[in-house]
Amino acid sequence: MKITDEQVIDKSAKWVVSFFVASAGLWLLAAALLAYIAAAKLTDPFFLSSFEFFTYGKVKIAQANAFVYGWGGNSIFAISIWIIARLSQAEVRGRVLLLVAGFIWNIGITLGLLGILDGHMNSHEMLEMPKEIWPLLFISYAIITCLIIVLHRSRKYSDTIAPQWFILAAILWFPALFLIAWNGLEINPSPGTVQSVLSMWFGQNLIWLWLTPFALGVAYYIIPSIIGKPIDKYYLAIFGFWCIASLAPWSVVHHLEGGPVPMWIPAIGTVMSIAMIFPIAVASTNFHATAFKDIDKVWNSLPLRFVIFGTLSYTISSYIGVIFSLPAVAKLTQFSIINEFHFNQRVYGFFSMIVFGAVYYMLPKITGKEITIAAKTFHFWTSALGVMMLLLAYLIGGLTHGVLAQQPDLDWANSVIASIQPYFLITEISFIILGFSQLVFVINIWKVLVPNPFEDTGRSKKFASKASTV
Amino acid sequence: MNNIFKFSFGIFSTLAVAWFAFVVGARKQFGDLSPTSSVLNEDGSIPEDSDLYPIAFSGAAQQGAEEYLSLGCATCHTQQVRLVEAGFDVERGWGKRPSVARDYILQNEVNIGNTRVGPDLANIGLREYSDEWLHQHLFEPQSLIEKSICPPNPFLYDIKDSNVSGALQIISEDNTTRFVKPGIKANRIVAYLQELRQDYELPEMSFVEEEEPVTSELVTIPTTSTKLPSWLSDQISSGKEIYTKVGPGGGGCVSCHQPTGLGQPGVFPPLVDSDWVLGDKERIIKISMHGLMGEIEVSGVKYNGVMIPPGVPPGSLTDQQIADVLTYIRNDWGNSGSAISPEEVAIVRDSVKDRGQMQMWTAAELNSDK
Ligand code: HEC
Ligand code: HEC
Repeated sequence: MKITDEQVIDKSAKWVVSFFVASAGLWLLAAALLAYIAAAKLTDPFFLSSFEFFTYGKVKIAQANAFVYGWGGNSIFAISIWIIARLSQAEVRGRVLLLVAGFIWNIGITLGLLGILDGHMNSHEMLEMPKEIWPLLFISYAIITCLIIVLHRSRKYSDTIAPQWFILAAILWFPALFLIAWNGLEINPSPGTVQSVLSMWFGQNLIWLWLTPFALGVAYYIIPSIIGKPIDKYYLAIFGFWCIASLAPWSVVHHLEGGPVPMWIPAIGTVMSIAMIFPIAVASTNFHATAFKDIDKVWNSLPLRFVIFGTLSYTISSYIGVIFSLPAVAKLTQFSIINEFHFNQRVYGFFSMIVFGAVYYMLPKITGKEITIAAKTFHFWTSALGVMMLLLAYLIGGLTHGVLAQQPDLDWANSVIASIQPYFLITEISFIILGFSQLVFVINIWKVLVPNPFEDTGRSKKFASKASTV
Repeated sequence: MNNIFKFSFGIFSTLAVAWFAFVVGARKQFGDLSPTSSVLNEDGSIPEDSDLYPIAFSGAAQQGAEEYLSLGCATCHTQQVRLVEAGFDVERGWGKRPSVARDYILQNEVNIGNTRVGPDLANIGLREYSDEWLHQHLFEPQSLIEKSICPPNPFLYDIKDSNVSGALQIISEDNTTRFVKPGIKANRIVAYLQELRQDYELPEMSFVEEEEPVTSELVTIPTTSTKLPSWLSDQISSGKEIYTKVGPGGGGCVSCHQPTGLGQPGVFPPLVDSDWVLGDKERIIKISMHGLMGEIEVSGVKYNGVMIPPGVPPGSLTDQQIADVLTYIRNDWGNSGSAISPEEVAIVRDSVKDRGQMQMWTAAELNSDK
């Protein structure tokens, strides 16, 4: 059989990508476990309550960090390396360095999460891991970024396309955001609530400028590859890209309405959030007009089904997000658990679903082994169900919470919180379903990545014959 | 797009613009706030011998703040009382007045939070809970409030079988009695909670009067209004509403120029006794449509700030609204000027209809236009 260029590239990426995918999977499970513990604590405050290590606040924050940096970070590395290598038509180089940096990144997060649980939490949104860890994470991230840029610069064709813009921008935005936040929070700490503005800006941008553009880039790559047709109205993509680049950093601070911060900040945030309608519309036209030309393929190809679930949920939930940033609505829901809805729809409904699709698309090509369809289908339906239940519970629960909290005469514990208790129970059940679903995902990918000692007939026969001679 | 360096430059500049606006802007506005007295002298200086607020935490409370942070209490509790227009925090009894940026300047860790599963704690120290109550709540909230989901923290306490000195007796739901002795962390947290209190007034924010909600204050204007024709007093009261309302349909002027119309020394110019407010109508109509930036001199003091076009979204005030709010600011706080009609606003609007929505005026431009 003739070996194609693509196979050579895939082979060069094999170890690096496998390492990152495998670590991402483990983090996903860790996050699922933490998510379950946190949810269970809301329904029964005595659950694990005698351990200082597992207070609700610590577990909740550790979960968000494990999810974003562990699962998000590792899968971003894995998929970007592969897609950039494929699009550059160049082999992955600096593999040992990539593995070392990846190792440091994962060690850093492990130490960071232990630090949070051990009571060394930092107060800034999505920067809660202890201060000492960050140089480690930053350096390893920087190494990986440099190698990805080198890979991109060794490309055969100088013209770039949408997946490259989105993915590279995501990769480059993270260190920039980090340096800005680190400077304003640790090196020259800002006074008082200016800190809060900055840390909220960072936390929200991490989702809007890191996870989001990455996932969009992956969708721009995978949809046309599987459908086999170019992106419909591709000329809009560049407009969408620059809209996100210029609007997203502004639109993220509308949770501050009425608080002890400069008034104009939430006001600008609101206006810019409304303007986000444009890039959302562009992305959804591009994706859905292309995909729905061949609806059979969407249904039959599991990777594509995952990706389209992700892009649909991106579109729908982003519009919901725009509605919730209108001041009249924001006033109601400002401090309610609707915040959880926004976070989870981005990281689960959109980002993770696209990553699942991309991993299922990529792994067979890299390892040459298929994942059983039944297992993938099970994973798809349980994820879809879990995510929808979770989001609906947070959405309806959040509205209830917000509306009741605006009635000054209602008793807090016995009326306001008591009426959202049922929704906490639903989220707990959803996290159990999602946990199972993710366990199946991890088993699926580990089966492909780690050779099964009992399956390898050649070697096991030898082993058996040896054993019989003894 | 094809050259990675130009590309990076592009994506970093869009980020830098937003960073500059938010972070540098906020820092410039609030960066040099310092403790001050409740009332200032006429010239903006601090009267001698007056107490300065906010007060720094005691050592134990400062350490308590760190424990509070590390246990993750901020995931469920906010510490900010919102403005009266933004929510019912004051009515709920969570504070005597909305929180302002100055309240937080002495805190190392600012835990303002963003989710309220539990009640706001900005003023928990004012709710007259005893140390014992707070300890019992910290140990096991459910022994006080049956349905509470505030997490118990038994690991902060030594649980004893018999009554030792310094121990608290706790009777749980199921009538078991326990004696618990607070550990050092628990003592610090309670010290911190007791010191969370915004019980002082600041020049930029006074207590919200419970007996006299904002609407009834309107009655105070009419010392002159007995003589005012009803259309004028209507215009003034609608103008006051626009002045104080933050959000769609309002101008939000109050957030910068303050309820007193005195602004903030060095940052927001006063409207009281300002020859801008009382002088040429065209200039202030233009300011209300498009905003103002650059250097401006008001009553002999120079300011250099930015007033984005008022309204939500910016620049959305209608002719009627502009007429009302300007008539109001010309006739409160001892100001006395003629009314401005919507027709006058319409004429000015027509004369500058080619101007961009967000293109703010400068004082020099306004003065030379005449
Ligand atoms: C799971 C979310 C949650 C977490 C985490 C949490 N709380 Fe609470 N807290 C609540 C709820 C709900 C109430 C209202 C019921 C009650 O008074 O017990 C409350 C009430 C309180 C009250 C009483 C307020 C009042 O005005 O009566 C105090 C004090 C308090 N919490 C302190 C803390 C401290 C200190 C921590 C960190 C160790 C903490 N809370 C963590 C949810 C939480
Ligand atoms: C974002 C804060 C902000 C808001 C909201 C705001 N202003 Fe201003 N205003 C300023 C600043 C800052 C200046 C000085 C601008 C400069 O330095 O060029 C100013 C200047 C003025 C002036 C001229 C100077 C003076 O003091 O007489 C007038 C009149 C004025 N504002 C009226 C209003 C009215 C009416 C509203 C509401 C419809 C309003 N402002 C809302 C910040 C604000």
